[in-house]
Amino acid sequence: MEKQQWALEDPTIGIIFVAVSFIFFYFIGWYSARAAKTSTDYWTAGRSIGSVTNGLGMASSYMSLATFMGVTALILKLKVPFVYMWIQFGLSIPLITLWYGTPLRRLGVFTPAQFVRERYGLRTSYVVAIFMVLIMVMYAIGQMIGVAKVFEMLFGVNYTLALICGGALIVGYVAIGGMYGTSYNAAFQMVLMGIAFIVPLGAIMKGMGSSGWYFPPLLYADMVPAMLDAVPDFFDMKYGFKWYFALIPTLTIGAMGLPHLGMRIYTASNLKSARGAMVWFTFFCGITFSATYAMGFSGVFFQATSGAIIAPEDYDKITLILNSVYNPPWVLAFVIAGAIAAGLSTISANLMAIGALIAQDIIATIKPNLDESRTKVLNYCAIAGGGLAAILIALNPPDFLVVSVLCAFGLAGVTVAPLVILGVWWKQANRYGATAGTFISGILYILISPYIFPDFVISSGLQSALGMSGALLCVPLCFFLVTTVSMITNRIPSLVKHIPLDENKRLVDSIHGWTVYNEERYNSTMAGIIIAAVSALLVIYAILPGGWVA
Amino acid sequence: MNSAYKKEIRYTLLFSVLLLLTGHCGLFFVAFPPLRGHMLFGFPSQFIIPVLMGWIGLMVVTAIQAKLTNDLDDEIEAMEDVVEES
Repeated sequence: MEKQQWALEDPTIGIIFVAVSFIFFYFIGWYSARAAKTSTDYWTAGRSIGSVTNGLGMASSYMSLATFMGVTALILKLKVPFVYMWIQFGLSIPLITLWYGTPLRRLGVFTPAQFVRERYGLRTSYVVAIFMVLIMVMYAIGQMIGVAKVFEMLFGVNYTLALICGGALIVGYVAIGGMYGTSYNAAFQMVLMGIAFIVPLGAIMKGMGSSGWYFPPLLYADMVPAMLDAVPDFFDMKYGFKWYFALIPTLTIGAMGLPHLGMRIYTASNLKSARGAMVWFTFFCGITFSATYAMGFSGVFFQATSGAIIAPEDYDKITLILNSVYNPPWVLAFVIAGAIAAGLSTISANLMAIGALIAQDIIATIKPNLDESRTKVLNYCAIAGGGLAAILIALNPPDFLVVSVLCAFGLAGVTVAPLVILGVWWKQANRYGATAGTFISGILYILISPYIFPDFVISSGLQSALGMSGALLCVPLCFFLVTTVSMITNRIPSLVKHIPLDENKRLVDSIHGWTVYNEERYNSTMAGIIIAAVSALLVIYAILPGGWVA
Repeated sequence: MNSAYKKEIRYTLLFSVLLLLTGHCGLFFVAFPPLRGHMLFGFPSQFIIPVLMGWIGLMVVTAIQAKLTNDLDDEIEAMEDVVEES
């Protein structure tokens, strides 16, 4: 078969489906936002979201456009190693809930940066907030570009117009809806994208001759023998232990530092509801992720067994291509609407995080006495401003920002997660350690990425491009710096007198739910030494050459 | 130090290990190559076991985690008036 770039034949039904879905998004945003009476309501949805809706919302902010496009493309390229990479994303919310979600919720903060401000002070929070805005911009830009490309394909307009129109539509409904609108919209979008992804996949599998079409996420074993004949290396591990181990600091710990995921825990009506949402999240995430692997598998199977050759630039359209081959046009249109919903749910969560960072962590800190009406205007402006910046940057993005979204995970793991984890669980962590850890490790992570100085890297290839080698070095480095600098400076009286040490220690006890203070809790020097020693060993492991390939 | 505090630390470490095992059980197949290549439910073991652990295994662990940590919160709240000795 001739290799040619795929194009949408008749976009009319797709345009109708997308238009109708946007009408729904705006209506849900406007209707649900009427409940927001105060600024806290706006950013946390009045802490009133039930566990199923919240679980859907949590899963939805994870189901980015990548679920429909990037993931399947990468399965086509990387095959099973990419599946391994994706599986661990399900750990994010359970780990956030376990390690700091509930304590931060008890403290009543909106973002991890707010916690950093309360725990380590203003200067450290500015450093973290700047890194967080960078992380969210990296994340949002990838989504904006993806949505613009789908709009470009659908409406046949140029990229700039598609980006401006698509971006403005998204920013509009997020600003109108606040966290109420975003949460209910995210739940609706999760249902929409789940159906749009999984049901048509069943029809695709039936078309390919699979008898397990009625449950696509898991029942495609009968296609495996043909796959092994056509693509014998599909299930090969390909990479070495170090590559797979690096997924832990890069993506697992990285996800723990992403503010837009943590924010979902603060919208729950109570702690038990937040934990219930976590269980629902694992269900919704698991079923959609498993379907994504099945879609990627089907894409490889289709290419290998049908004789069709998919152009590399079309790899990210494999979901759409399979639907165009095996399903009628209206199903393809529904899938496109689902893909856009997936992109929107993530961008809206990113914009909420950017807005909260700007409004709550930066401006509200500089101007703490703003009245409620001005704060409301500020909230809208923060989201609109963040969205506008993302659109403008996405018009002609600098190379270093158009890196994989996975690099944003790595940066979050380096600059945010260690500070929050140690801040919640170790009383001895102080502002000197936190500032040194986040600043030095964050800057080093950026410098050793191949996008800044291509020759100043500790590894090459995929692990370097995705920020895995950088995170394997810089995440433990941050833990090492926070613990050692804190332990040293806590023993220097001239430095300790500048820290509200006693207040910080009581804060740690209180966010764990203790009403009576005990000096011994969360205060072990031995724990600090162990964390520093293990981190130092991991830093050495990261620097040692080799181990990345099988 | 009271038992609720010890339980909190124990649960956090235990569930962190269990969660990491469910999400990263592929590491075992990288570390121990003889585990690979066995067929389970029609799929190679190194594929289907991590997929199932990352979904069903994770759901089970988080459900237990939610139950036990909810109970622990109740226990800490019930200790509100207890003054401890340091």
